Amino acid sequence: MITRQLGSEVRWMLRRPRTLIGLFGLVLVPIVISFGIWTADGDGGGPGIAAILRGNGMVVPIFTLFLSLNLLLPLVASIWAADGLAGEAQHGTLRGLLVAPVSRVRLLFVKLFGLTAMSLFAVTLMAVVGIIAGTAFLGNDGMMTLSGTTLTTAEGLLRIAFFVVLVTFQMVAVGAVALAVSATTEHPLVVQAATMTSIIVFQVLGQFSSLDWLHPFLITTGFPGLVDVMRDPIPFDQISDSTLLAGCYLLIGTGLAAIRLVTKDS
Amino acid sequence: MTTSASAPAAAPSTTAVAARTKGLRKEYGSTVAVDRVDLELPEGAVLGMLGPNGSGKTTTIRMLLGLVRPTQGEIELLGTPLPDGAEQALPHVGALVEGPGFHPFLSGRENLVRCAAFEPLLPKKQIKQAVEDALERVGLAQAAHRRFRGYSLGMKQRLGLAAALLVPRKLVVLDEPTNGLDPAGTREIRKIIAELHEQGSTVLVSSHLLSEVEATCTHVAVLHRGTVVAQGELTELLQAGGSALHVITPDVETALSALRQAKISARPLGDGLRVELAGTSAPQVIETLVKAGAGVYEATRWKTGLEELFARLTEAEEAERGMSAVDTLDGGAR
Ligand SMILES: Nc1ncnc2c1ncn2[C@@H]1O[C@H](COP(=O)(O)OP(=O)(O)O)[C@@H](O)[C@H]1O
Ligand SMILES: [Mg+2]
Repeated sequence: MITRQLGSEVRWMLRRPRTLIGLFGLVLVPIVISFGIWTADGDGGGPGIAAILRGNGMVVPIFTLFLSLNLLLPLVASIWAADGLAGEAQHGTLRGLLVAPVSRVRLLFVKLFGLTAMSLFAVTLMAVVGIIAGTAFLGNDGMMTLSGTTLTTAEGLLRIAFFVVLVTFQMVAVGAVALAVSATTEHPLVVQAATMTSIIVFQVLGQFSSLDWLHPFLITTGFPGLVDVMRDPIPFDQISDSTLLAGCYLLIGTGLAAIRLVTKDS
Repeated sequence: MTTSASAPAAAPSTTAVAARTKGLRKEYGSTVAVDRVDLELPEGAVLGMLGPNGSGKTTTIRMLLGLVRPTQGEIELLGTPLPDGAEQALPHVGALVEGPGFHPFLSGRENLVRCAAFEPLLPKKQIKQAVEDALERVGLAQAAHRRFRGYSLGMKQRLGLAAALLVPRKLVVLDEPTNGLDPAGTREIRKIIAELHEQGSTVLVSSHLLSEVEATCTHVAVLHRGTVVAQGELTELLQAGGSALHVITPDVETALSALRQAKISARPLGDGLRVELAGTSAPQVIETLVKAGAGVYEATRWKTGLEELFARLTEAEEAERGMSAVDTLDGGAR
């Protein structure tokens, strides 16, 4: 029963025009990045990870996801979360599910699963297109790390897979909080606006050193540290901090969504 | 048809009920949507919930389905109390609540398949067939591949009905199912309700039209401003208050004495008389009058019981804040 519900949820998400447009947009990012680096010959990139992109196609997926995590991926996660509960309430389909019946806790689980599956799919898709586009435009002989060493292609692929998992987890954490908002309203746009405003405000707050006591609580603070997967060997402290923080967001978001959903009139 | 397998041995002191509410009340902020609602839905009955717009029909139905938590009161659905029994009872309940809710970008068929995936009583293998059967039953088979976005109001309503009928149900709840339907569509809905009744399902159907309820229901509950003002079997309610005949005749005196001789009570009224039909029938009255030589221009059955009550309710609703209307209404309701 549950597998059939999960399958139905993912199929439904994939059928939504918005999802398809979103995925198409996401796929364009690595292509545009590869193309941009390829045309802009001369001085090599910017600081940090951008500097090692030249002639290093395997870094494109990492760079793409790293860039997208700041805005694009949270946006997509918020859209899915918004459509998942608020959108269903707006269309009147939430009632249908609840009288089927699907218990409200089960429904939240289904929604969270859909969000996770689709996030993993989207991030993986971006990574795969990134590898292909990066290799095509920038060439590929192993993966140069931020520490100056070069990894074999196989090792590089492992690093990319690890990064995909980390980024997906951050995306799901944002989505879980968005689901909590989504459980309180019938207007999907409210959910997207609230989520994106928070993400942007968090990033702005992260710039003020006078607020550094606040920074450990902002999910966005954890984003830059993830790029440590590109060091050799990988230092795990920042990565685990970021992941732990995202885990807290996931738990709190899911908890709030459950409380709201269980008492909700629909 | 019985809700529990253990039923036969126990001699039920009360008739079995598919659903029952006690002292149901729902407040939305300062508005009281529903108050002191005691409904009884006998098993196998077709209960028409009759009430003008805003009288609390949808809110009552939502509470009955566990969608909305009552502020006060108890609900029993198919033998189990809500909200705890929801997962046990709801698989046997099909519902169409406040207009059909579907995804605009999916076709009618795809929408139903999605509904079916969440039906606990429907094995995966049977989903496809159940969806086709439901589409066929509501006459949507031809349009099933089209997007829901492009459906007419009537088609949307039919699809909602199809979703309620995906699985054989013990109880089917339809909130104003004929809204937006043309006369042919209305007839089809009536036919479907009659079929459900024949198959032994219990049906709860809400409407703001008396004719609708008269045509399809065995039982009626009349709602007004969130409370039940009358409830019972349709035939009883229609008779309640005694039926009467309004006869238009120029020979009032002749007619009155003839009727008095025949021990039929009557009194002059307007350009004719009002004849009570207690202990007699309309043909008998007219025969008496004709034999006595009183010319009968017209004879109409008087609005009585349910009809009169409901007419007053709706008129009061139309008159909105007309104080006198509300007064008569309250008097009539008691
Ligand atoms: N979600 C809600 N919030 C506030 N008021 C509501 C809500 N739902 C219903 N009401 C109010 O409750 C009353 C009964 O509404 P409803 O049950 O929809 O009536 P009906 O279905 O008989 O037309 C109306 O006055 C309506 O305004
Ligand atoms: Mg209504």
